[in-house]
Amino acid sequence: MKLPVADAAALRAHTGRLLRRHRRGLGRVLGLHVSAAVAGLAGPWLLGLMVDAVRRGADGSFVDQAVLFLVVAVVLQAGLVRAAQRASMVLGETVFAELREEFVATVTRLPLSVVERAGTGDLVSRTTTDIDRVQHTVRFGVPRVLVTSATITLTVVAAFVVDWRVAVALLVGTPLLVPTVRWYLRRAAAGYLRESASYARLNGTITESVEGARTVDALGLGARRRARTDADLRVAYSAEQYTLRLRTVLFPGVDLSFVLPIVGVLVWGAWLIASGHTTVGSVTTIALYAVQLMQPIGELIFWLDEVQVGSTALARIVGVADVAPDRRAGDAEPSDEHVVAEKVRYAYREGHDVLHGIDLDLAVGERLAVVGPSGAGKSTLGRMLAGIHPPTGGRVSVGGVPLVDLPLEDLRGHVALVTQEHHVFVGTIEQNLRLARTDAAPEDLRRALEAVDAWEWVAALPDGLATEVGSGGVALTPAQAQQVALARLVLLDPHTLVLDEATSLLDPRAARHLERSLSAVLAGRTVVAIAHRLHTAHDADRVAVVDGGRITEIGSHDELVAAGGDYAALWHSWQRD
Amino acid sequence: MASTVPEGRRTVLRVRPLPETDPGTPPLTSAPAYLWWVARRQGWLLLGSSLLAVASAVSLAALPFLLGRVVDTGLDGGLSRDLLVGCLLILGAGLVLALGNVVGHVLDVHNWLRGAFRTSQLVGHHVTRTGDAVTAELPTGEVVATVASDALRVGEVFYVTARFIGGLVAYLVVAALLLDSSVVLGVAVLVGLPTVAGALALVVRPLQRRQAEQREAAGRLTTLGSDTVSGLRILRGIGGEDVFTARYREQSQRVRHAGVRVAGTQSLLDGLQTLLPGLFLAGVVWVGARLALDGEITAGQLVTFYGYAAFLTEPLTAATQAVHVLTRALVGVRKILRVLRVPVTGAELPRPDGASSAGLGGDLVDAVSQVLVRHGTVTALVSADPDETARVATRLGLLGREHADDAARVTLGGVALADLGLAEVRRRVVVAESTPQLFTGLLREELDPRAADGVPDGLVRAREEVEARLLDALLAADGQDVLDSVPDGLDGEVAEKGRSLSGGQRQRLALARALLTEAEVLVLVEPTSAVDAHTEARIAARLAQVRAGRTTVVVSASPLVLDRVDEVVLVADGVARARGTHRGLLDGAAGPEAAARYRAVVSRAAADEGTAGTAAATGTDTTTGTPTTREEAHREAARR
Repeated sequence: MKLPVADAAALRAHTGRLLRRHRRGLGRVLGLHVSAAVAGLAGPWLLGLMVDAVRRGADGSFVDQAVLFLVVAVVLQAGLVRAAQRASMVLGETVFAELREEFVATVTRLPLSVVERAGTGDLVSRTTTDIDRVQHTVRFGVPRVLVTSATITLTVVAAFVVDWRVAVALLVGTPLLVPTVRWYLRRAAAGYLRESASYARLNGTITESVEGARTVDALGLGARRRARTDADLRVAYSAEQYTLRLRTVLFPGVDLSFVLPIVGVLVWGAWLIASGHTTVGSVTTIALYAVQLMQPIGELIFWLDEVQVGSTALARIVGVADVAPDRRAGDAEPSDEHVVAEKVRYAYREGHDVLHGIDLDLAVGERLAVVGPSGAGKSTLGRMLAGIHPPTGGRVSVGGVPLVDLPLEDLRGHVALVTQEHHVFVGTIEQNLRLARTDAAPEDLRRALEAVDAWEWVAALPDGLATEVGSGGVALTPAQAQQVALARLVLLDPHTLVLDEATSLLDPRAARHLERSLSAVLAGRTVVAIAHRLHTAHDADRVAVVDGGRITEIGSHDELVAAGGDYAALWHSWQRD
Repeated sequence: MASTVPEGRRTVLRVRPLPETDPGTPPLTSAPAYLWWVARRQGWLLLGSSLLAVASAVSLAALPFLLGRVVDTGLDGGLSRDLLVGCLLILGAGLVLALGNVVGHVLDVHNWLRGAFRTSQLVGHHVTRTGDAVTAELPTGEVVATVASDALRVGEVFYVTARFIGGLVAYLVVAALLLDSSVVLGVAVLVGLPTVAGALALVVRPLQRRQAEQREAAGRLTTLGSDTVSGLRILRGIGGEDVFTARYREQSQRVRHAGVRVAGTQSLLDGLQTLLPGLFLAGVVWVGARLALDGEITAGQLVTFYGYAAFLTEPLTAATQAVHVLTRALVGVRKILRVLRVPVTGAELPRPDGASSAGLGGDLVDAVSQVLVRHGTVTALVSADPDETARVATRLGLLGREHADDAARVTLGGVALADLGLAEVRRRVVVAESTPQLFTGLLREELDPRAADGVPDGLVRAREEVEARLLDALLAADGQDVLDSVPDGLDGEVAEKGRSLSGGQRQRLALARALLTEAEVLVLVEPTSAVDAHTEARIAARLAQVRAGRTTVVVSASPLVLDRVDEVVLVADGVARARGTHRGLLDGAAGPEAAARYRAVVSRAAADEGTAGTAAATGTDTTTGTPTTREEAHREAARR
């Protein structure tokens, strides 16, 4: 399942809302940039006046005054540039901070079923790569686009004010400039995205080579890894060649459309001077404006493709908000802790049922083991019992209320799911545990860790509970991470727990020990344990055998063994010796 | 302009495509030596781009000169010949500029790519020869960063070189021209501009520091973000979203504040970049206008001076940028050198003469643990401490830095592994660890890396035969279900690190890969730790069949596996204590003490598995015809 990406209209609407929210700041920034650009126009204008003065044979005081005026204009411009840049950067930081905080808030509120099915890869790349791209655009691109647009517009306006008849010649490059730039921009964003994707691939290959260095050594994979690195570089090279080719069209087109107006102004101006319609000074001024336009137009084009790349990233960020909620909480209160599944069906794809009408009545406080071959639907059943996905047919309820009608906060108090997937959050062990209960007392933390056989190694860490773990901190083994996850569950203390291979990463002896100490702590809780080890089934009150999306056998271990079905056969084959 | 496009393309084609077949051997002595070595490998390209940059810069500098000339001679004579000549010259300069810019850019980019790609290739190749020594020396992230960012910094040096040289030449030319018209102006340019540059550099330093602070804060924010998202399933399952959003917001605000501090300095620099050249320009205009009034220069020359003063900021920026880029690159190269200095294992060095047949068909013996693996048997290593047996197993294949000194203590057919040479050891003894890594690539190729290299027996096989071989190995590892999980099966792509597969699937795929090496000696460490009991029983039976008659070592304490092997060696305190069959050891054939010890290890595991051994395998014995699909396998499991 793919997460949505905002379409053009949604993106425009979102950007519009964002801009409107910062209307005042934006107005201020624009005002400052416009003023700075106006002050920057003084130079060529004064020079034109001086050219006329020199040709008139005016005296030195005119020059002194003009230069003084120029100095004032320069100082003013510098001050305005500083204020404008500062204001726009601060605004950029504010808007961007808002954007990313909203994004993360949205992501952490994504419906449970979406998170389970979409996986985290796509979200991680949106949180890292896309946010970084937008950041670059917002932080550097948007201010520069504002500055250059203001400068270009005002320079052209000033030229028209000086002498509109001469200034029309400025537009002579436009018929070349506009199609060239359009041609380029239509292709650029895709080209640059391909480029960055090719580098991401290269980095992925290097990461694999380094992380798997031992495997590379053991199996003699060196030559293959090198070939792959080279292949990635070849792809990156061809991506670079493509954008380079785009630029070999863009650059000459742009360069020429800068030179044409200069020549146009001079030739047209000379004719106008000869016919007495303008002065040498005015033509000089406008010719210098033409020269002065080169830099901002070049920079604007450069940023336009960055902005394009930024907006594709923004579409992915904004798109996350379009995920529809998977449930609507009602206000019914469960009457007790009794969890029942009735005729539960589930299909990940329409028409392909994974569960075919499962009925399961969990006695309060019982321990049920779910066994069966992989792919039988055990994990899907577990997710239904924990209220992760709304079933496609039938219902799972607690105390008479369907699980998916409960507000999420309440649901967690009733049923919780722990899978073999483990993740240690950046922070201390204590912070990792407190997620489940922020107000837990230190003794509670210790008790929870003891219940999962983890207290010993936690206490042995350099800073005990306060040890920094996760990316950048002390690395925990998968087994330790699994213990931390279980300790969180102990703290959360729901009345029903679903453990989906929750101890599979521990070695068999440790797993069994952990399960025993855990069950002491969980006495009185209803536990559904999906397991691939038979001892879990042996220790449970009841065993459910799931095969092909159905419960084929259910009963106590002894009953099933006595019944002589599949479970009995399996058990006997193991017990034969 | 139409003609400039194919021109640019032809230039592209003439340059050798990347990457190189062999990136070469750089000096590892110092960062400057490395950069110089890279530069020499693209000397012609650098020379060409520098010449073009000079041409571009000079024609850019010619624009003000030509403009001034037109103002003087052509503007008030109507559409005179002088005007038209002047305009044609401007157009000509414009064409040279456009052409120089585009071809120059192509060459600059190639210089950049050459420098960056050669470096990436050097790192990418080197890490495949170091074994795990590279991860012991540096964290993975830092090694990847040398390719992701430091290599690009190296490229940048060669990207800016030409522009720096072009700017320098243009600067000198303009200074000379000005000096010719007015000593005051000439000196002002020669002294004034470097002063301005120096003043700006004063602001650049604190700016860089603040930018670095912001980058660091932003890096932490990214880590926090991706951490939150990676653990999202857990967060949504047990709560704590608010804690995380708050934590993210806090760091996000920290980044914002750092950004505001950057804005303060950055905008100051922007202001100064307007102010100082602006004042310099005003000074030039003032002196020029005075000279013009005195009749020493013409009005057109005044325009030229103005143009020069405005133009000169370009070489200035190029120079400051070049210094900045070079500094960054030197820092980057130092990190790159740290990676390149990690010693290679030597597994890819040529084998010593006559090694290939030495010790063929002999027993494998580890003198440290006194473990003996008889030729042609499947032998299991068992210990109360699984790490201990794993250590013996990796020593048998000299895998990992920790066994660097053990080469003389392990013998194959009486020949010390040290005498065989690591290359020969790797070819003949393959160790597959319990958590081996899978790599991105076509499933077909990832399964059988040696076949793809043409190594195992040098024969080119028919496609059907290749396919059958792969399917056999997958079947032996009970991994046929992987074909359903990877879109397009054998021709599908395994995602990065096999992420799209479950832990059990990854392990079974890695087992199939190990079997396909068809190594003379295969060492498997806990090959079934992540699979369920049904599957383990099937794998144990098929493994014994597939490897029958070929030396195989399996580290496992599972009775399902132990009952299937030819011989079991019990290891305790790092030393082999007893050997025999699983049943024999249990029954006391190696003495009552050994039996007690063995039972203590195995029966604890057995109690955990709810089993004491032999029989699970019996189920597979009765199997007539091997199950070919997952469904069949399941049905078969259910039948049992």
